[in-house]
Amino acid sequence: MSVYRIVLLGLLCMFGNVVVASAQERAYFVTYDHYLEERGNLEIAFATTTGLPKNGERSYTAPWLELEYGVKGWWTTELYLEGVTTRGAGNGFTGWRIENRFRPLRSEHRITPVIYVEYENINEASRIQKEIVGSGSLLFEPIAELTEEHAHELEAKLILSSAVGAWNLSENFIVERNLSASEGFEFGYAVGVSRQLGRLAKSTACRLCAENFVLGIEAYGGLGSSEALAGAEQRHYLAPVMSWRVSDRSTLKASAGIGLTRNSDHALVRLGYSYELPAWRHR
Amino acid sequence: MRAMIVLATAALIGSVILSARQASNSGEHEARWAAPAREASRTNPLANDPQAAAGGRKLFHQRCGTCHGDDAQGTQDAPSLASARVQRQSDGELFWKVSSGNARSGMPTFSFLPPLQRWQLVLYVRAQARGG
Repeated sequence: MSVYRIVLLGLLCMFGNVVVASAQERAYFVTYDHYLEERGNLEIAFATTTGLPKNGERSYTAPWLELEYGVKGWWTTELYLEGVTTRGAGNGFTGWRIENRFRPLRSEHRITPVIYVEYENINEASRIQKEIVGSGSLLFEPIAELTEEHAHELEAKLILSSAVGAWNLSENFIVERNLSASEGFEFGYAVGVSRQLGRLAKSTACRLCAENFVLGIEAYGGLGSSEALAGAEQRHYLAPVMSWRVSDRSTLKASAGIGLTRNSDHALVRLGYSYELPAWRHR
Repeated sequence: MRAMIVLATAALIGSVILSARQASNSGEHEARWAAPAREASRTNPLANDPQAAAGGRKLFHQRCGTCHGDDAQGTQDAPSLASARVQRQSDGELFWKVSSGNARSGMPTFSFLPPLQRWQLVLYVRAQARGG
């Protein structure tokens, strides 16, 4: 499947629907909080990561399509299809991922834990960087070569998230195992803080009022592996994030990440659009 | 190799689900879905604010109407919020339930809304019991 087909499929899914539902899309791109998809709801999201690398390497854009479904109130599952396109170095399909998030406690607590398990069938051309683990920079060989190198990976996260007044504080601890190569266990993290701008909801419908905007900041990066901590080789980013609830069902979000280390790209610019379909039982 | 990966993934997911279900059966406030006493005693800072109630109506339609019905009278998926069982609860209890959610029953957690907006929802629920 080409990148353009993924893009087309995403756009069709987004604009081809007129059914209603309510959405709460997190502002973060990398950090997860404890809010799961509502039971029976399907969220369709399309997003891109555009990287501006250092050392004269070619910039790239990695789009992905995300289907998120609320199986139960305590269980959300997601499927990702991802690709990449570069200036002059080709483009291609970079794989798929399936993730599951489980909220073990019925009610919210001061710190609410969520357990995350993901299986990835991707190749070395993957650039979406939904999480960063381990150390070392991205590979910049031609995409056609990189897509030949497949990786099966298992990833787990411990998500801790708190609502403090109007603020959300989230911390993710990541461990990943490449099942296709002996790389040990790779570690990573993501932390974020965000808040909705409005305090009271206005009585009339409005799209540009503060209550529809969430602002925040997230930091994420790799922490080496069980075989090499390699602090100097790690990649870390700091990224302001913003989301805008465009309608009751859809959200636009954006982020501009700044690379903090030698191996990080100069910047990671992310854009996303999500559309929420209501529970099937309501349709 | 691929079969082993699939099996390992399935086993991991299964064990996580089981442990999640066990965890959800424990805890001081997990036996029943009830607000802690301190939360239940809170009062609505927006009481007697008709403008805030109107905002609550809009929020309810956006966030809650799909399951509870736009008039809060309930659907096959979620109970009526105008019922005596709901209305006999204090504002603090309703606020806590809106905020905290109930992962087991499928009630979402709305703590991503600022606290005053959750109080607006409580205002609207009260207004529905009085006939809107």
